[in-house]
Amino acid sequence: MKLQNLIKEVKKSWVIYAMLLPTLVYFSIFHVIPLIGMKLAFQEFRIMGANEWVGLKHFKILFSSPAFIDVLKNTIIISTMKIIFFFPVPIILSIIINEVRSNKYRKFTQSILYLPHFLSWVVIAGVFISLLDPTEGGFNIIRNFFQLPSVDYMTSKDHIRWVLVFSEIWRTAGWDSIIYLAAIMKISPTLYEAAQIDGASSFQQMTKITLPSLYSTIVTVFILNLGFFMNANFDQVFNFTNDSVRSVIDIIDTYVYRIGLVNGQYAYATAASLFKGAIGVVLIFSTHFISKRISGKGVW
Amino acid sequence: MRLIKNISVTRLIIYSLLLLCSISVLVPILNLLAVSLTDPLRSQEMSGLDIIPKGFSLINYEILLSNPMILRSLFNSVFITVVGTSLNLLLTSMSAYILVKTKFPGRKLIMVFLIIIMVFEPGMIPEYLLVRDLGLIDTYWALILYKTVNIFYLFIMMRFFEDVPDSIIEAARIDGAGYFKTYYRIVLPLSVPALVTMGLFYGVYHWNEYFRATIYLNSQEMWPLQVVLRQFVVERDNSAILGAETLLSYDQIASLDYSALQAGTIIIAIVPLLIIYPFVLKYYTNSTLEGGVKD
Repeated sequence: MKLQNLIKEVKKSWVIYAMLLPTLVYFSIFHVIPLIGMKLAFQEFRIMGANEWVGLKHFKILFSSPAFIDVLKNTIIISTMKIIFFFPVPIILSIIINEVRSNKYRKFTQSILYLPHFLSWVVIAGVFISLLDPTEGGFNIIRNFFQLPSVDYMTSKDHIRWVLVFSEIWRTAGWDSIIYLAAIMKISPTLYEAAQIDGASSFQQMTKITLPSLYSTIVTVFILNLGFFMNANFDQVFNFTNDSVRSVIDIIDTYVYRIGLVNGQYAYATAASLFKGAIGVVLIFSTHFISKRISGKGVW
Repeated sequence: MRLIKNISVTRLIIYSLLLLCSISVLVPILNLLAVSLTDPLRSQEMSGLDIIPKGFSLINYEILLSNPMILRSLFNSVFITVVGTSLNLLLTSMSAYILVKTKFPGRKLIMVFLIIIMVFEPGMIPEYLLVRDLGLIDTYWALILYKTVNIFYLFIMMRFFEDVPDSIIEAARIDGAGYFKTYYRIVLPLSVPALVTMGLFYGVYHWNEYFRATIYLNSQEMWPLQVVLRQFVVERDNSAILGAETLLSYDQIASLDYSALQAGTIIIAIVPLLIIYPFVLKYYTNSTLEGGVKD
């Protein structure tokens, strides 16, 4: 009886299923199949015939390979640098933008600062190559003006990680400030009015009212970012890398690309990428539960 | 008196800080524009901080836009962006409407499936092997079919559709409109801002795509602009832009100013984004800031 009802219900709403079908088929083919394909990490790739199971062989090689330990280290270093030096910038920016009283000036700066988010990393690499050029680049011209010697940042092992941090700030800090600005808009104006009556300076208002009100947004964004910790931004590194600096900015994803797609060691590269993915999933699940506990809101 | 002085000093610092940020974003881009427009005879006078061209000449753009490789890649980029974005919008909006505005057995199951899709990303290699096994290497489909439905955009679209009043949809249903008719006659026209916003995001994604084009497209004549740009500017491979069938003589090749041409190529890649940028500001930024982020 119940089954009959269900069949009736399904028959009645066949259009619904027909409209959902393309998306479900799409995800099944282009998402689920490659997801299952990750089993290649435990196999030996064969061009002809079925792949052969080899258990943890690739992982054993992986963890005894100094090259992989290096890219793992680079990934962690670059991500950590970005958390420390990039993460606070959009917060500060939103607080500063909020203090601008002239609507025109605020709109003007916002529309400039959001723009780089829409440029591809290829374009941004081009912009930075030109900006940091040792002879003609604008940045070195400024350095020379202050009697400092020119530096070839794009090929300097000591500087290239900072170039990654700063280009990330250049591209994304403005756009990321939107989420904090939206939170600031929700702060009740009476708080500021009361503070003004009590004689608080605008700097005090920023640090004592605006910043504390952003606390829950900051925590949410922070743990969301943590879920992508192992990514360290493939597109950026892929376009900023060159032979002189590869050893210090090669990350797991660029390593997987080179070993897998360039050298054709499919199974071994898949093992590296599965290791990265597994850490990512653990991070996402932990952040989900931490976030639920702190703010009552999960990642999904 | 002291209070007023305090406020104005803070303001002054804030205003100049923001000005400095804006300048550091704008100057590098304007410099490239100025370099690309400078008279080639005076290109030695340009420095990395100049934002006004020395003299004025469109010769770099004439060279670039008469180059078959650049022209072809521009066409490829437009084609991939238009076809890709249309398909994105159709599938994303249709499924978002069904998931938000209709009731049917199995909805919960599908939502769980979507969350699994969101959490577990497949890696680069199995994805490449799949595209290869499907015979999509060296076809535009390899690019168009990647993220045809972006799971994050699907969830954003669902939040947009929650705002469409149920009463209107019910009224249409009572009048005898089927699910599909309700979708394209009622829901779509009411959600133009949402569609524009999502369309811009998908469009920017397709326009900026270079990586999948690099690994999936072997034939140069299929390359989108970003790949040509990457070869020319990031990899410093001048042959990418000259091509085998260039019409220039040796003398002309020798006298080409490559840094000006590189600057021009970057500008060509940016211009379409500048054209749609006001719409992004109007639809996305304003709705986010004025309506608040929905949570």
